[in-house]
Amino acid sequence: MAENKTIQTKKSHKDFRKGLDIFLFLLPAILLFVGILIAPIIVSVYRSFQDWNGFSEGTFIGFENYKELFTNGSIKWMVALKNALILAFFSVFVQLPISLLLALLLGRKYKGERFFLSVYFMPVLISTVVIGQLWLKIYNPDYGLLNTALDALHLSDFKHVWVGEVETALGSVIVPTVWQYIGYHMLLMYAGVKGVSPDLREAAMIDGATNWQVDRYVVIPIIKPVIRTSVIFAVTGSLKTYDLVRILTEGGPFQTTEVPSTLLENMLFLRNRYGMGSTISVMLILLCFAFSLAISAAFKEKD
Amino acid sequence: MQLEERYTLKKSNPAIKVLVYILLVIWAFINLFPIYFMFTFSLKSNEEIFGKNIIGLPKEWLWSNYVSAMKTGNMGLYFFNSVLVTVFSIAISIMAAMMATYALTRIKWKAAGFTNAFFMLGLTIPLQASIVPVYVVLSKLHWLNHYSTLIIPYSAFTLSMSILICTGFMVDIPYDLDEAARIDGCGLWGTFFRIIAPLLKPALSTIGIYAFLQCWNEFMFANVFISDSKHRTLPVGIKALSGQHTTDWGPIGAALVIATFPTLLVYIFLSRKIQDSFIAGAVKG
Amino acid sequence: MKMKRVVSTVLAGMMAFSLAACGGAPAAQAPAAEAPAAEAPAEEKKEEAPAEENKEEAPAEEAAASDEPITLSMWCIATESDSNRHSYEAAIADMQELYPNVTLEWEAFENQSYKTKIKAAVSADEMPDIFFTWSCAFLGDFVDAGKVYCLDDVYQNYKDELPVVMLGNSTYEGKHYGVPLTMNIVGLFANMEILKEAGYDEIPGTYEDFIKCCDDLKAKGIIPFGCAGKETWCVTEYLESVIEKSIGAEELNDVFVNGATWKNQGIADAVDTFQELVTNGYFDPAGIGLTNDEVKANFMAGKYAFYMNGTWNCADFAADENFKDKVKVSEFPVINADKAKLGQLIGGPSDTLAVAASSPNAERAADYAMELGKYICHYGYLDGCGLPAWTPYGDTSAVNELTQTVADIVANADSMVLFGDTAQNADDANTYLSYVDQVYGCQIDGKGFIEGLANDIR
Repeated sequence: MAENKTIQTKKSHKDFRKGLDIFLFLLPAILLFVGILIAPIIVSVYRSFQDWNGFSEGTFIGFENYKELFTNGSIKWMVALKNALILAFFSVFVQLPISLLLALLLGRKYKGERFFLSVYFMPVLISTVVIGQLWLKIYNPDYGLLNTALDALHLSDFKHVWVGEVETALGSVIVPTVWQYIGYHMLLMYAGVKGVSPDLREAAMIDGATNWQVDRYVVIPIIKPVIRTSVIFAVTGSLKTYDLVRILTEGGPFQTTEVPSTLLENMLFLRNRYGMGSTISVMLILLCFAFSLAISAAFKEKD
Repeated sequence: MQLEERYTLKKSNPAIKVLVYILLVIWAFINLFPIYFMFTFSLKSNEEIFGKNIIGLPKEWLWSNYVSAMKTGNMGLYFFNSVLVTVFSIAISIMAAMMATYALTRIKWKAAGFTNAFFMLGLTIPLQASIVPVYVVLSKLHWLNHYSTLIIPYSAFTLSMSILICTGFMVDIPYDLDEAARIDGCGLWGTFFRIIAPLLKPALSTIGIYAFLQCWNEFMFANVFISDSKHRTLPVGIKALSGQHTTDWGPIGAALVIATFPTLLVYIFLSRKIQDSFIAGAVKG
Repeated sequence: MKMKRVVSTVLAGMMAFSLAACGGAPAAQAPAAEAPAAEAPAEEKKEEAPAEENKEEAPAEEAAASDEPITLSMWCIATESDSNRHSYEAAIADMQELYPNVTLEWEAFENQSYKTKIKAAVSADEMPDIFFTWSCAFLGDFVDAGKVYCLDDVYQNYKDELPVVMLGNSTYEGKHYGVPLTMNIVGLFANMEILKEAGYDEIPGTYEDFIKCCDDLKAKGIIPFGCAGKETWCVTEYLESVIEKSIGAEELNDVFVNGATWKNQGIADAVDTFQELVTNGYFDPAGIGLTNDEVKANFMAGKYAFYMNGTWNCADFAADENFKDKVKVSEFPVINADKAKLGQLIGGPSDTLAVAASSPNAERAADYAMELGKYICHYGYLDGCGLPAWTPYGDTSAVNELTQTVADIVANADSMVLFGDTAQNADDANTYLSYVDQVYGCQIDGKGFIEGLANDIR
């Protein structure tokens, strides 16, 4: 506050000096950010108004790509969007609660806390190729662990070609995706939980609160900003999900498990429809941004 | 210390505690299984991987998979490249992020909030969308096939995340410190380098881990931007182990182990640091 | 001894049958296929033609003036574990002796990611001097954009060794742009040990017998076909063969390449025929959730009687000690003898080398690519990776038996239609694949297939 006032009363060349400093502090970040991220987006927006195959001359077609994206059923944009939203739903309402629970438990100084923390984060560090191969072995219709287990339990009726049938394919992708990143969010939240001052805990405990009550009424409100960040990551991450879908289902069967990123890649590099690919990426950025704003707003309202 | 003990004693309801422990241990096993799977996978032949023996120990321990991954697959070089690219990307990203965050949170100016939101836009951008535009620019600048070809885009893509984490840490540092520094005659730069940056040490390992995740397994940029195998990174190198119509999965497993195990070890080392720094931070806050 | 005969018949056969030609040339018998090559340039001069001629002349002078050492770069997909790796290495070693002044720097990339890579490189004009590509539509897009060096001049020196029909898939507007390497067709592989269990010593030659054989296998509890539903191209290997043997090669080629309408009752009926095979339970129901690697492993482990896939598998099957004596390869039987006949195959030269128009040494690169292609083809054939697009030379008796059988089939071939996903342009091919996927999953019938495709293909 005091700092603010003193600066305000200084002469204008001081203001200029401050502006220059701010600029210099921001310069490396701005250069990287604008050069590598923003400029390509501007190019993408420009290309999204074109019919362009990636190497010849493009032709300007206005909003035709956007129109086609929503009207041409064979592009499967709505299917992809729906799948991404379903995944986002499971991320927020299944994955995050588990992460939070683990973070809270580990925050209570259990013996071996560090060991558990390290182990739970490991799936995040392991290449998606390995995770994908592992789950393919679990889902394999002939010798997969899941079907073998069902046989052993005399539940053969529940056997499925998990990644190949329309009813089960999406679920088969969601389970590993949700599982793999539990550790990721747990670590974020654990950081928050550990940041809660022990005094506050103490005070609540002395007032006779149980562990759960402390978590619910003291810890969770304090780490709310962390939870907000996690929710934003979970949702934008779901909208951009890609790896496991490619490995487990390739968007099949009958393109029922396509997600925006697989469509994007198909358009850009398989179908040579660079213009349409750009349109999808612009839509994806808009969606992610809109969701981030909406989530931030929702958290603010609750405050 | 006394209080602390009482508080641990009080919470313990033995039955629940044991139950929670059992759950934690089961969950730990579920999360350790992929590592076991990867390791055994790397020692099997295609025959065992597809059908005969999917999760058991290998019947024949094919250490030769490692030999072929290292020799023909050249994983040693790719590993070195990956380390180099990742380390420099993280370093640049952290430096740029700390400076930017300092300007955004500790200097008062009008457009700070807007600029911050602008940087957060980066969290939403899908990588695939920028491949061709970035590639065209890099090619015009004759800037392909260097380590820096990957380092710069990677640090740009991790920047938003780094700024986000830095912000969290930086707002926790008391503003009195800035003022004390000012009174001691430090300028903005002096305050940043002498006071703020050293205090952000706990943030480093957190940013490091999250930035690492984005760089280490990145495939799309590495595939397109790098065309000579001297500068190839692990993900592209591993992918190049599969053929058009035939793939020998054993060496791929071995390459994945080579790519993953060192990082797991480093992580275990780092995760200690993270926890320590958090506990330290908690006491002060 | 047997081999000599094979070689000569391969040659004779290749001259006689026709290959589907890209870029609007009609799929006709051999003489006709040659015709557009001669006529088209006169008919239609493309804009870039003069510019290209200028480009060609400038380096030509340099090359003639001095044979100074140059470095050429090449990208391909012959990764360490690819079956073609050895043929590339051997060919490049030979080339080093032949062209001591040329240093070749080559890099191999994984198949799927290479498609992304090469397209981005073409966009940014960052192609290497020589690059691997798939013929027909894939290369065609680059040619349309004027990014590929025309090989007509260089080809004159290789006319005798490379039959012009083999260039059909890389000829656009009558000009040649690609050096074909090996070629492959779809083969019907059979596990004879399993067939024997159902009482068959040979792969049935007529469709009726074939279906009866499938029924017998089914009755024994053996699954006739394995097919990877997760990789739609594997389904097309079956479906395209069924369609071709129902409506004949010419009609199918017209639809794939020459823009004939998909609204073809013959195709609808053929698709229904294929779907009958599916609904009759001839296909492994688990196949919809499997990758080709898994299905192939199943076939080699004796789970299926038949496996229809590219003849590039020959090398792998022949290399497996336990399996090589059990497996035989044949051609899919004729379904409608009025329109189709034996010898109408799916396949053709697809693997191709091309030269970048932007290369500073384009002419020498073109010459080098031609020679290199010849050697890669030679060694690839010896290794059993496929059949030669170039006239084979030297002692080829070491070629494995499966590949020899395939060579026999090709030698007697009548005509070939290129794989549908290679023949059609990228956008159409993917639309086509998504419909094939739906056919295999019985989401749509033949009528839905032709109507949907007629609607959706632009």
